[in-house]
Amino acid sequence: MTTAVQLSNVSKTFGSGPDAVHAFGPVDLTIEGGEFVSLLGPSGCGKSTLMLMIAGLLGASEGEIRVNGERVVKPRTDIGIMFQDNTLVPWRPVEGNIALQLELRGLEPARHKARIDELLKSVRLEGFAHRMPYELSGGMQQRAAFCQALVHDPQTVLLDEPLGKLDAMTRESIRTDLQALWMQKRPTVVFVTHSIEEAVQLSSRVCVVTPRPGRIDRVIEIDLPWPRDLDVKRSPKFAGYVADIQGIFHGFGIL
Amino acid sequence: MASASSSPARAQQAPARYGPRWFDTLARWAAKSWMMLAFFVCFFLFWEVSIDLFHIPPYILNKPSEIVMASRSDFHRLLSYTGITAAEAVIGYVVAITVAVPLGLAIAFSSILRRTIYPFFVSLEMTPKIAFAPIFISWLGFGLLPKVIIVFLVCFFPIVLNAILAFSSLGDELERFCRSTGAGWARVFWKVRLPAAMPQCFVGFKYAALNATVGATIAEFIGSDQGLGFYIQITTGNMRPDLAFAGIFLLTFLGLLMFGAVTLAERLLIPWHISVRRHA
Repeated sequence: MTTAVQLSNVSKTFGSGPDAVHAFGPVDLTIEGGEFVSLLGPSGCGKSTLMLMIAGLLGASEGEIRVNGERVVKPRTDIGIMFQDNTLVPWRPVEGNIALQLELRGLEPARHKARIDELLKSVRLEGFAHRMPYELSGGMQQRAAFCQALVHDPQTVLLDEPLGKLDAMTRESIRTDLQALWMQKRPTVVFVTHSIEEAVQLSSRVCVVTPRPGRIDRVIEIDLPWPRDLDVKRSPKFAGYVADIQGIFHGFGIL
Repeated sequence: MASASSSPARAQQAPARYGPRWFDTLARWAAKSWMMLAFFVCFFLFWEVSIDLFHIPPYILNKPSEIVMASRSDFHRLLSYTGITAAEAVIGYVVAITVAVPLGLAIAFSSILRRTIYPFFVSLEMTPKIAFAPIFISWLGFGLLPKVIIVFLVCFFPIVLNAILAFSSLGDELERFCRSTGAGWARVFWKVRLPAAMPQCFVGFKYAALNATVGATIAEFIGSDQGLGFYIQITTGNMRPDLAFAGIFLLTFLGLLMFGAVTLAERLLIPWHISVRRHA
């Protein structure tokens, strides 16, 4: 496996002088190609900040970030990115929103019709291509947003709490779809979340992030079989990982 | 009232079709708006009857029926004056949109303009623009131009201020998404920024459409020899409130027409926006 994302001594400070806020770091982390890595931490710990820095949407104050061996100095266009608030535009139907990703890249959506259909099918939205976002439930909107983030087949996918605003049942169901999508194409995924169970279920490795200023306290290999279905989630080993991580956050004084 | 009558239960009843599509549309509109229509009818009936009832002399106020009759006697002048006032209002309005939207865009994206012109505009917004009317008329005479300028002024500020807001309030996440695609400024503008700005721009367009006829009328009050504002002033001076009211009705009609045209444009251009969907 090759190294997909490499963070060396990365930190971020907002502002300067006495008002400066030390938001994140310093952090060292190496993510191999095809890994699913979660950044798990309390809100405000700077995990979203780190994700924006990997995407090149925010400059690091110190240290160096490399994606596929290249130093990140400007927004990376070879990644797929998704946020808690989805980036579906209200004036385009689902299909048009997925096409927007292609159009902004100067690609002809008509030539990628099959890819769009395949993605919609994989998130069980095949009958909704021509619906407007406001006609969909919150969960369906996030499913459509997954398609938008993945349509250009990125090797690296950055997901910033994409399920954060959904109800528990919808989250559960979309996690399954997300896992299936990842297992199929095996992109490198960096997944930001504050749900311990979600991190354990989806990830090959979980990075436990401390409260502000965020640092990676430890990295936990999740040695569970794929796909992580209901049986795996009921296993004592799964429960053990969850309990261990809960213990760590308890130590931080959060839980 | 409108929201109550468009409750889901009623909307789901598919009405039987009695005739052509336009008839259906009209029937549905009437079913939804009958209360409003009834109120209008009652208002004018009350007005009609109360002139006799309260012995109001004709040089103070006339019955609606008399106003309609009187307007027919002066039909040609009213028609041409309506055309003049409409031209002042529409030209001033269209020029205001043409200038204010690009300027709003420039101010939204230029930190220099935002620190110079923007505060200047905000303070000018506090000035009643109509106060400039006598000066413009003394500079430029009684013709069309000073009225167009005054309409332009009363329309310009709501449009430019809303356009600045519109173009500077794209969500962080959408902006980041656009940057992550590597798209150039122009492509992001046409595909994302412009459509995203339309709803807020229309807030300004609608507000300005209401201002346009007001601006034209007051400009005519101050100095003119034609137009509906001039007509209302002259007929009032001649103790002919019937003709003055005919002018007021036409101004109302003109205002409705302009506002209706902007609302129609809004429905066609941004049918996806919540403000449009709620009234559909």
